[in-house]
Amino acid sequence: MSHQHQSPRHEATGRHIAAAGLAVAASLATFAPALAQDQAVPGQSVGTTASVETANDPWEGFNRGSFKFGMGLDRAILSPVAHGYMAVTPRVVRNRVSSAVYNLGEPNTVMNLVLQGKPKGAARSTTRFIVNSTVGVLGLFDVAAKMHLPRRDSDFGQTFGKWGAKAGPYVYVPLMGPLNVRDGVGRALDIFTDPVSFYVGGLSTDFGKARTGVTIVDLRAQTDPAFQALKDAADPYVTTRSAYTQYREAFVREATGDAEVLPDFDSPPPEAPPQGAPAEAPKP
Amino acid sequence: MTGMTMTNTTTRRGANAALLAFFGAAALAAPAFAQNSARDAGAEAFVQTKAQRVITVLANKGMSDAQKAQVFHQAVDELADVPRITNFVLGKYARTITPEQRARFTPIFRTYAENVYQSRIDDYRGEQLKVVGSVVNKPGDVTVKTVISGGQITQPLPVSWRVLGGGQTWKVVDVQFKGIWLAITQQQDFVSTIDNAGGNIDVLINQLQKSGSNSSGGKR
Repeated sequence: MSHQHQSPRHEATGRHIAAAGLAVAASLATFAPALAQDQAVPGQSVGTTASVETANDPWEGFNRGSFKFGMGLDRAILSPVAHGYMAVTPRVVRNRVSSAVYNLGEPNTVMNLVLQGKPKGAARSTTRFIVNSTVGVLGLFDVAAKMHLPRRDSDFGQTFGKWGAKAGPYVYVPLMGPLNVRDGVGRALDIFTDPVSFYVGGLSTDFGKARTGVTIVDLRAQTDPAFQALKDAADPYVTTRSAYTQYREAFVREATGDAEVLPDFDSPPPEAPPQGAPAEAPKP
Repeated sequence: MTGMTMTNTTTRRGANAALLAFFGAAALAAPAFAQNSARDAGAEAFVQTKAQRVITVLANKGMSDAQKAQVFHQAVDELADVPRITNFVLGKYARTITPEQRARFTPIFRTYAENVYQSRIDDYRGEQLKVVGSVVNKPGDVTVKTVISGGQITQPLPVSWRVLGGGQTWKVVDVQFKGIWLAITQQQDFVSTIDNAGGNIDVLINQLQKSGSNSSGGKR
């Protein structure tokens, strides 16, 4: 991510926020080195690993049940609602709705960019929020993107990852979807510390209820291609877990700047299959 | 006004310095960032030309889905290394698959993969592809980063292409959308399916054959 298109005014805003966030950041920084220790994996430089990393899924039995239940709920409720919405609303309108929903998430992004020690990014997202909420008519139009202030997503899961927290075991929560421990805790924090809920209105208000409803329908409509893609999967549970894990790791790498280490493409992994194999092949 | 700005700037500089000190210390514990300046011009040129061609066909509103599928089917061998992908998605079972099973799996996987890749690329209906960089994973193994825009895309979509080869001869072996590699995901999907069938590869082959006949791919 480049931070080149910064006007002095944006930088100034960023520094204000940086100063304000200092106290919070300081407390985060005190435990960050401890967290960062288990990040020191050898071979982080480019290169390939022998095989695709095995999934961290000790609760697979529970998760599979939960996934089945969640997908059932989706088929019964969310999918019909989302498809109804997609059928009656033209794409241009849906795009405006998505922009408005996204805009309300921007303050949370700002907060997390501050916590990640990215004052310029925080300044950019702050400016985006201000411009889009006003000139962009309550976020319906992404005017800021046309002013060279591109979107940059962030959340607490990414912030934890940035400071070295590992993903932890995978969990599937019906209606919330796939998560891992780090991003689940992050998601809870995203919800409980959301500045918009604080200052405009949380779930107890009409605004909060409407916002939650629209956010869920918008998210389901936006992720519909992923649901379609699952129909092609031999094991939809594993496909969801694999896709989510890769998606989140890539999202965390956006914050850390680490290079992605891919599995070697040509040699199959050395583990012997569970059945009928006489001996395990030696590790290279 | 100017004086105030000066003072403010100084305070801000101080705050920034303090912030830097804090996060600098934290960053020391982390390994040095692996920033790769190694790019591969040949691989980038290959993706720019070949992938753009596929995107253009899929974005063509004048063609029917059946026509697109036909063109895609013909373009696949020029673009992708299907035998290598076929082997990769089997994971550890690539070592134990029998020649008979492989003979059955190969054409079924090909049809399945064509559907899946076409519909994933088609989901976004972008028009322009621009190479923005590349990373050499190891010699002959390059990730080419592109951004797709135009068409129905509202936010520029980053897509990476993993290509193997050298010089001017390259083939795509995997494609990444939103951080998700298709072939890696397929490998985990397939290996798990075979694992859960007690190691019986035929179960996967039958399932892919079945889903090939009523797939979501390329028919929407």
